[in-house]
Amino acid sequence: MPVPTGGRILGLETSCDETAAAVITGDGRILANVVSSQAELHARFGGVVPEVASRRHLELVIPVTREALGEAGIELAEVDAVAVTQGPGLVGALLVGLAAAKALAWANHLPLVPVDHLHGHVASLYLQPERVEPPFLCLLASGGHTLLIDVAEPGGFRVLGTTLDDAAGEAFDKGARLLGLGYPGGAAIDRLAREGDPAAFDFPVARVPGLDFSFSGLKTALLYAVRDLPEDELERRRADLAASYQRAIVRALVRRTHEAAEQTGATKLAVVGGVAANSELRAALPDAAFAPLPLCTDNAAMIASAARYTDAVPLPGYLALDAYASG
Amino acid sequence: MSPAMLTLAFDTATSVATSALVRDGEVLAERASRAVRVLADADELLEEAGADPRELSRLVVGTGPGSFTGVRMGLAAARALAFALELRLAGVSTLEALAAGSPGALPVVDAGRREVFAVVDGAPAAVAPDELRLEPGTTCVGDGAIRYREVLEALGAEIPPRESELHVPRARFHAELAREFGDPEAVEPLYLRVPDAEQAR
Ligand SMILES: [Zn+2]
Repeated sequence: MPVPTGGRILGLETSCDETAAAVITGDGRILANVVSSQAELHARFGGVVPEVASRRHLELVIPVTREALGEAGIELAEVDAVAVTQGPGLVGALLVGLAAAKALAWANHLPLVPVDHLHGHVASLYLQPERVEPPFLCLLASGGHTLLIDVAEPGGFRVLGTTLDDAAGEAFDKGARLLGLGYPGGAAIDRLAREGDPAAFDFPVARVPGLDFSFSGLKTALLYAVRDLPEDELERRRADLAASYQRAIVRALVRRTHEAAEQTGATKLAVVGGVAANSELRAALPDAAFAPLPLCTDNAAMIASAARYTDAVPLPGYLALDAYASG
Repeated sequence: MSPAMLTLAFDTATSVATSALVRDGEVLAERASRAVRVLADADELLEEAGADPRELSRLVVGTGPGSFTGVRMGLAAARALAFALELRLAGVSTLEALAAGSPGALPVVDAGRREVFAVVDGAPAAVAPDELRLEPGTTCVGDGAIRYREVLEALGAEIPPRESELHVPRARFHAELAREFGDPEAVEPLYLRVPDAEQAR
């Protein structure tokens, strides 16, 4: 643990389309958690454009850092360590946060803690006031990832299964686009699905071996369903399509999670990532611990949280760190 | 005696990232490596000079044009340093720094997509290398000149050998050229090209 209980960690996160900075204490209290979402910027493209995202990160990274320090009521000089997402993610985006974090740490002779983004999502569960204690089985489902993770202790994690094609959040986004809904698609489908019949359409949930996931077939099935409906009927049945599509994604997630729990003998379940905000998933896993809503989407509090269980890199070693695209 | 003015300058826009530490106009030391290492280089420069980052008086950063990712790494580091150390920042175009290192030459920076960044009709722009109009005998410098040596030589250009340091935008020139030091957020990257996704629209 690089930072004492009363110490403060400044976290930065720029792996995808949220520019985020946070300040937490060594014992996991959030003092500030600032997230500047670029969703609107990318909405007209129907997804994240890496170059557009990276340009925006550069514009925002210092302003969000300043805001987080201000909200926490501290000066940069009062920070004890800087944590930053090193990967996986969009490399050009990660490098903006990494360059800024190195500079902030170097200027103040602080250690830097390079954090794995997936570890960050899991560590969203270690923040107060609702800390979840390992061991547990963790479903991480977001726009970029769909993973089943065995978590034995806060400092580590072991991936049991992953998606072979699209991430669950990506499936929501693509489905939303097919249904003429906005981006990001998860919230839009969740809302519309409440007015629809989840049994109206039978969308197949791909069966792949092991504990992996596959969502590309599901998206194709929705594409065909949309294409085969006459215009006026499509309009009428949009909510049914959304409800059935959401049901299929949630079923796939829940089934695999239960299978993984059986295999590992896990008694405790946890769900993190943007899709953890989905109301049907929450209802389908009533006994699981869900990350608090503000910590589901990418944020820097979770990165700072993971830093509490990650070795800090001392000066000057971290000054040459590179980002990585995939784990 | 007034305290010495200690300036840190760096440029990460091209394939060779450079840095320099300058005290009252005297270049103390320089480094050349890669963009991800530029702050490691800066740390070494200060170490050699027996100085601490807190003793820096001002910062200069290369604003490109060049690799978008490279330009951003330099600007993110420079803005963060300026914020942390409460320093003012100046931006200097990578093309201008190259020109200062090779007076009379035309700087040509690799822009990817079979294009180069160069000053065309008085303004920096992205163009195909064979669209450059050169006076015969013009010296071309920069990583774009190395990459498109044959095309440019066919247009009458003279290009120094690949290993010549004339091809590198050395940060000592950024420090020398820097004039306006001010709000770090006001120092903007010189992209010269909109993202592809915008272009496609
Ligand atoms: Zn994420």
